[in-house]
Amino acid sequence: MSTPFEKPQIISHIQKSLNYTIFDCKWIPCSAKLVCLGNLARGTGVLQIYEVQGGELKLNREIEKAKPFKCGTFGATSLQQRHLATGDFDGNLHIWDLEAATEPLYSVKAHKEIVNSLDGVGGLGVGDGAPEIVTGSRDGTVKVWDPRQKDTPVANMEPGAGEAKRDCWTVAFGHAFNQQDRCVCAGYDNGDIKLFDLRNMAVRWETNIKNGVCCVEFDRKDIDMNKLVATSLEGTFHVFDMRTQHPTKGFASVSEKGHKSTIWQVRHLPQNRDVFMTAGGAGNLHLWKYDYPAERSGEDSEGGAVGVAGTVNLLQNVTLSTQPIASLDWSPDKQGLCVCSAFDQTVRVLIVTKLNRV
Amino acid sequence: MSVSEVSSLLNRDNTFSATLDHDGKVPVEHLDYGYIEKCKDVKHLEKILRVLRSGEEGVYPHLNQFCEDRVKSLDPTSRALRKEQPVATAASLPTEEWSQIREDLQRWQEESKDLEASMLQPSIFHGIGNENVPPVRGTNISVPLGQNPASKAKNKPPKRALPLDYKDWDKYDVDKECEMIDGSESKKDPAAVINSGHVKIRTRVDVTTLTEKEKLLMASREKDKGNEAFRAKGYEEAVAYYTRSLSIVPTVAVFNNRAQAEIKLQRWHRALQDCQRVLELEPLNLKALLRRATVFQHQGSLPLAAEDLRAVLRVEPHNTAAAKHLTEVDKKIREGQPELPIKGRKILIQDIEEDEEEAEEHARPVDPRQPVGGVDSVVSPVERGDMGNAQKKPYGGGRGDGASPHSDASNGSHGHHRRGRGGSWDKHKAAAHESPGPGKAANGTGKRGSTASEPGAAKGGRPAGVDLDAPCGALPPPLARLKNEGNLLFKNGQFSDALGKYSQAIAGFTESGIDSPEDLCILYSNRAACYLKDGNSQECIQDCSKALELQPFSLKPLLRRATAYDSMERYRQAYADYKTVLQVDNSVQAAHSSVNRITRLLIEQDGPEWREKLPDIPLVPMAAQQHRREETPTPEVLQARAEKAAQDTARRSELRFTALKQEGNEFVKKGQFQDALGKYTECLKLKPEECTVYTNRALCYLKVEKFAEAKQDCDAALGLEPTNKKAFYRRALANKGLKDYLASSSDLQEVLQQDPGVQEAEKELEEVTALLRQSLASGASPRKKVPITEVDGDQDRSVADSAPRPQEGGAINKQPADAYEFGQSLNAARSRGDAAACADLLSSVDPERLPRLLSNQLDGHVMGFVLEALDEHLLARDPGRVYRLLQSLHTAERFTVVLMLLETAERRRVTQLFEHLSSVQSDDFTKDDVQNMANIYIL
Repeated sequence: MSTPFEKPQIISHIQKSLNYTIFDCKWIPCSAKLVCLGNLARGTGVLQIYEVQGGELKLNREIEKAKPFKCGTFGATSLQQRHLATGDFDGNLHIWDLEAATEPLYSVKAHKEIVNSLDGVGGLGVGDGAPEIVTGSRDGTVKVWDPRQKDTPVANMEPGAGEAKRDCWTVAFGHAFNQQDRCVCAGYDNGDIKLFDLRNMAVRWETNIKNGVCCVEFDRKDIDMNKLVATSLEGTFHVFDMRTQHPTKGFASVSEKGHKSTIWQVRHLPQNRDVFMTAGGAGNLHLWKYDYPAERSGEDSEGGAVGVAGTVNLLQNVTLSTQPIASLDWSPDKQGLCVCSAFDQTVRVLIVTKLNRV
Repeated sequence: MSVSEVSSLLNRDNTFSATLDHDGKVPVEHLDYGYIEKCKDVKHLEKILRVLRSGEEGVYPHLNQFCEDRVKSLDPTSRALRKEQPVATAASLPTEEWSQIREDLQRWQEESKDLEASMLQPSIFHGIGNENVPPVRGTNISVPLGQNPASKAKNKPPKRALPLDYKDWDKYDVDKECEMIDGSESKKDPAAVINSGHVKIRTRVDVTTLTEKEKLLMASREKDKGNEAFRAKGYEEAVAYYTRSLSIVPTVAVFNNRAQAEIKLQRWHRALQDCQRVLELEPLNLKALLRRATVFQHQGSLPLAAEDLRAVLRVEPHNTAAAKHLTEVDKKIREGQPELPIKGRKILIQDIEEDEEEAEEHARPVDPRQPVGGVDSVVSPVERGDMGNAQKKPYGGGRGDGASPHSDASNGSHGHHRRGRGGSWDKHKAAAHESPGPGKAANGTGKRGSTASEPGAAKGGRPAGVDLDAPCGALPPPLARLKNEGNLLFKNGQFSDALGKYSQAIAGFTESGIDSPEDLCILYSNRAACYLKDGNSQECIQDCSKALELQPFSLKPLLRRATAYDSMERYRQAYADYKTVLQVDNSVQAAHSSVNRITRLLIEQDGPEWREKLPDIPLVPMAAQQHRREETPTPEVLQARAEKAAQDTARRSELRFTALKQEGNEFVKKGQFQDALGKYTECLKLKPEECTVYTNRALCYLKVEKFAEAKQDCDAALGLEPTNKKAFYRRALANKGLKDYLASSSDLQEVLQQDPGVQEAEKELEEVTALLRQSLASGASPRKKVPITEVDGDQDRSVADSAPRPQEGGAINKQPADAYEFGQSLNAARSRGDAAACADLLSSVDPERLPRLLSNQLDGHVMGFVLEALDEHLLARDPGRVYRLLQSLHTAERFTVVLMLLETAERRRVTQLFEHLSSVQSDDFTKDDVQNMANIYIL
């Protein structure tokens, strides 16, 4: 590197080997702690809380449950409570009080099969409106849950009778900038991306990116939807500018082939929505920055507004592992701190420097 | 065949194929320093690089590196340059950097521990603060996935089953419906959805239930959002988020950032406010000072800008941005105050003649503001330059004829070489060649030939400066001489000398105590011209004002003052003055162009309500207007002029009317119905006979739920345009709001009669009918049940008015208990054309009650039908009843209006009826009675 001091550096700060397969890891908001969710060899689920302490991860608590955990989120809880919502291999959605986790606060058999992904909104001071959790499952349905309502989802996006059920791999909330508006984006194994408008309870937009959609994320959940990143099975990712929706062309997008293998995860920097990190199947991390075009919307041949996509620039890339990095989470409190877990049964705390100068 | 060739054949798709691919083959010769250095094709270089990296042709680390460098120099973002890198570790960083990071991290760990501990103490509000959280969305609403377009089209619109809940009508968008009524069929394709939700972002955040820590977190998050929006050039959105952040916890940084966003939006005033807030909290906040300087500069207050910049430099002497900015501002100030300093100079005004500087601004590099965190970019030079131009370019023409002094007019062909500035020279040349004013004035017959007392015009084409003692109005010879000398000097471009002469003349004038306001006015006006030339706008304005006190509505002082205000960027005052000029003389081209330009600027600056902020524009009396004209205009000219003036005022009021209406419509679009109401009301003051304004105002009243007023407006609109669908429709809504469902339904029927395709009206009618039924069921007589058949009949009628009626089911209720039932029966009978049934109905009701039963349902058709029934059926049976019915009918609501609108056939029917009636002998009435009544019916 000719200018090593200008570019952000990704530094491996702490590595911790685990004795189970870890699927998801999340920072606990307003703390230096993180939770790891996974699958013990004996087929049970495990939830561990670690605290970052002087260059080490110190295990605070370990909780074992009957079913392996697949994913978790703090998105729909208040900053005081910080209850963790989890999805497991059996299709259950649970909400746990981490201080007293013997019994879940909320429990529902959300899906017939594994909950692949979930996301929360309305908590943590992120966005106005009701706290809601969305789950996507292998059974082909996407359901939205309100922790205040037992047993039944508040919205259910499922294929109609006779339609093929696609495995839903990823879900994400967005557009939650006031009390009414809210969107859910879901990605499926056949490359479908669907945007559900929860205000109108209708599919607002859909597209297909040809390869299985591994992860979708809005750059921010609690603003008028701005950008959406969708990553795919064969290593490309697409950035959609969500500001201008053309009646036929939809949203403008730019795609980039960043990895030579599946991109498992994409996560936007909480402090800067235009910077995001992708995690690849070959154990590598790529840090990107989206640059807006001069004008974000132009005119099509008929004079209608059509979005104009910007460009993505690679800021940094590193290889961490030989195994896929399955989860990635930026610390909401400390800019540049992030945690990732790979299938080599290791959780890593990383520091990304100079993010305020990109 | 070599091993490599074999392997490459086996791996055609791989990087190996690059060497042997027939088209994109990389010959071995290309793997050469010389070639790579010259090659400019990045694609090809990437191929070479791939070959080199593959080791296919051997391993050449140096050549490889060289090729990489070459690619990098051509395309720094080339993908071929991306290399997998191992993750950095602490060891790969310089020691001090790493220790810094570690310390930082350590501190954060401790802080977050404290934060967590404080978080764990639940807020006292905890658990009770949920009332502002929206309720649970609903239960298990199924959203179809709509996998293919066909099924999507089928499944997508989640049609609700009818009938609609009353609550749904609260969400009913009258606007949209009216648009549909208007038949805007052209919009078949849905327009692109642009998510610019910042208008919907609430600018306040309810934080009553949050702890301090949470508030801080939220505030900083909102700030982040604002910063992001700012970076994406969403300045409006950024302002919204900054405002949110400030509503949670006001901080200096956010005020500062909002100021910057406001600067970007060129809302100087707000930006200034924000800067002031910052400086109140932190008097030496450099960023705020810098930003305030920018605002001041744009507002034309250069000295204040300079002061701020100096303050910055006092704190931070090496702040290059401030230093640069300051030199610029100082330069402008100096140019505004040329060679000869004028006594008592206090406020320096940005000069108009700065074409050179404009160019410089274009070329200037980006203002290198110091990155101090937050939003750091400043207005880019291009934007600034553009804006400057927009403001300044039109000055050329504006000043050319507007600012040349009176004497200049007589001999305008001398350029003012002394000033030596290209810009000004050109302008004056332009003034001489193009401006119609001076040329005409020289001939003494020009339209704006000013007053004959003005020396310029009086002297005509006389060579300048020859006769310095030429008499000037009522001026005594010494003063006249001074004045003429001043004129000469002015013409020669010696403005400051001319200024001195004029000042002397003015002083002498006041001493001598001559009573000649015209001459003093001219002297002041001329001195003002000198000040203007010297860029001393402040003094210029003062002199112009004095001149105008002496001679209200004199053209030149007005124009000069306008120009001076303009140059000080006090556009509102400038606008008012230009407008006054135009009132005095509508042909002043410079004033026209300036007004246009300033209008644009003001709209940019103040938004659509810019007119509200204007100072009063004085109304110029006709006398003053004539005073400006030629001395003896012919009567025809006078007449033409009067006509023109009348047209002008008409046009002005027309313009104002359309502007107001436009503004009103804008407000409606934004949902600010109260504001829209105000605008429409003003509109109606200007033009009380405009039907659409009434209907629009009615819409606003509907939106703010003032149904009675809405109804009034609709009535007014219908008075003007008796067949206005919108008015009927809105009156129906108003009536619905007033719970007068009967009237509502009749209005809706009217709409449907005019245009059966209006689905909203149909829906509304169903709704109203249902409501009517409800209100009847709940409110009135429990003993009388409404027979379903009638309702059916009514619905049928409303659904398909034009369609031929199928057989009518059910009998007509001949014993109506109230107005509703009567209306139902009457409608049912009428829809079947069954006059006999109607006669039966009428014979069963008490004639006294008829007006009450008819309520406000009476329309032309009903009336015609009733009269038909009376004439053909009831008259033969019971003439006395007919007479009494007719007697009470004319007291019914809307009778006179309906009568006026009767069609000829129906009129004939009326005449016929009275003929028949008068031919009948009866005890109940005399022929005279019939005659009297006929007079009422037959107009």
